[in-house]
Amino acid sequence: MAEPTRARSVLASVLPALALVLAVLLLLVPLRLFQGYVPTPLLPFIVIFLYALYDPDALPAPVIFAAGLLQDLLYGGPLGVWPSVYLLSLYLVTGQRTYFLGRARDVVWLGFGVVLLVAMLLLWAEMSILSGGWLPLWPAVYQFVITGALYPVGAYLFFYLRARQGVREEWQV
Amino acid sequence: MDMVGQTRRDGLSRREAPRYGTIFLLAVSFFMVVFSLYGAQASVFEKARESVIDTFEPVLTVVGAPVRWTQRRVGDVQDYFRLAAENERLRQENAELRSWMHEALNLREQLAYYETILDTKLPEPAAYVDARVIGENGGPYQQALILSAGGGDGVRNGSAVIDESGLLGHVVTTGAKASRVLLVTDFNARTPVYIEGFGAEALLAGRSTGRPVIEFFAERPQDAIPPGARVVTSGAGGLLPRGIPVGQVAGTSGGTITVDLYADTRSSDLVRIVDYAFPQDVDEDSGAAEQRTSLDG
Repeated sequence: MAEPTRARSVLASVLPALALVLAVLLLLVPLRLFQGYVPTPLLPFIVIFLYALYDPDALPAPVIFAAGLLQDLLYGGPLGVWPSVYLLSLYLVTGQRTYFLGRARDVVWLGFGVVLLVAMLLLWAEMSILSGGWLPLWPAVYQFVITGALYPVGAYLFFYLRARQGVREEWQV
Repeated sequence: MDMVGQTRRDGLSRREAPRYGTIFLLAVSFFMVVFSLYGAQASVFEKARESVIDTFEPVLTVVGAPVRWTQRRVGDVQDYFRLAAENERLRQENAELRSWMHEALNLREQLAYYETILDTKLPEPAAYVDARVIGENGGPYQQALILSAGGGDGVRNGSAVIDESGLLGHVVTTGAKASRVLLVTDFNARTPVYIEGFGAEALLAGRSTGRPVIEFFAERPQDAIPPGARVVTSGAGGLLPRGIPVGQVAGTSGGTITVDLYADTRSSDLVRIVDYAFPQDVDEDSGAAEQRTSLDG
C-alpha cells in the first residue's frame, strides 16, 4: 500500500508546477474569446498568486522563473520580461502573506487586483523600454480587467482541487 | 477576533522564510531584460526560441485540439442561425465577383499580349506553403502566431504570411516543424508598402492595436490620401513580393494615417506562407554584352 501513497505524494508535489506550465500553454492556445476581441486571461498569474499566498513551498521561485522563461521563449519576445513580472508578483504576495491569510475573499480579490496592476505596469514599462517608445496602456488594462474578473473562478477551482486532495489550508488550522 | 485571524497571522509571520532566492532570480530577470535591449536577436537566443517552438509544437497541437473542436461546433451553430442572411450576402458577393472575374480575364488577356510583344522577362511565380495556426501570443504587447509548418516544409525567415484576404505578417523564427509569425499589428513590425494611386512608398508600422499606421520615409504625397485608398506590399528590401494586398486607408487623424487590414489577425486559422525568392541571379555576361552593344550603337 506504500507505493500508491508515494506516487500520490509525488504527483501532489509536481502538480503545482504542472498547473503553471499548463497555464502558460493555455495562454498560447488560440482561444479567441468572443471572436478574438477579448484577450486570454493571464492564467499563470492566477496560479502563481494562489500558490504564493496559500502554499508558497509548492511553487518555489526557480519554478516560477523557469515558467516565465518558457513563456518568453514561446512568445519569441525578449528574455526576462515574464520572469521579472511573475517574480515581482511572488515577492509582493509573499511579503503581504500574513496580512491576506484569513481575510475575507473580497479583500484577497482586491489584493490580487493590486498585485496584478503593479505587474501589468511593470510589463508595460519593460515592453515600452524594449520597443524604444511608449506603448499604449489600454491593452494591459484590458488584460488586467479580464484576468481580475476570472480570479474568483480560478480561486474556486484551486480550493476545490485542494479539498479533493485532502489538503487542509494553513490559515484554517 | 477569530474572524480577523490576527493570532494566526502573527504565528505565520514568525514562520516566514527569507526571500533571498526570489530577490536573486528577480535580479537575474532584470539583467536579462537589460541584456535583451542589446542582444535580443543574438543567435543563441534565436536557437533557443527555435528549439522551444519545435519541442512544443506537438504539445500545442494536442492542447489546442479540444479548443478548435469547440470553436468549429460553435461556428456551425452560429452559421445555422444566420443561414438566410449569409446566403443573401454570398449571392450579392457572387454577382459582384462575377463582374470582376470578367474584367480580370480581359485584363489577363491584354497583359499576356503586351508581355509577348515587349518580350518581358517575368520573375518566377511564388509558391505557397499551407499551415495551421497552433498558437498565438496571449500577452497584451507581443502580437505573433505560431504555425504548424517550419523549415522542413520550405518556410524561411522573412517569408510573408497571408490569409484569404491579405497580409498577416512575416516569419521571424523558423524551427524544423513550426515557425513564428510577427503580425503587422505588432509594435515592432515594419512592412514596406505602397499606396496605390498616389505613387507613395511608405512603411506600415504596428501600434499594438488593430490598426497599424503609415510612416513615410520619403516625402509625403502632396495630395491628401482619402479613406479607401488601397495599400499593398511594395517589395522594397526584397523580402516580400510586391503587390500583396495589405489593407485600405481608414482615415487620417492628427497627421497619422491609419490602415484597416484586409486580413483577420484575430481569428485566422488556416494561413499560407509565401515562398518567394527575390530575383538575384543576374546573367553578368549578357548584361555586359548588352552594355557593349548600346555603347557601340
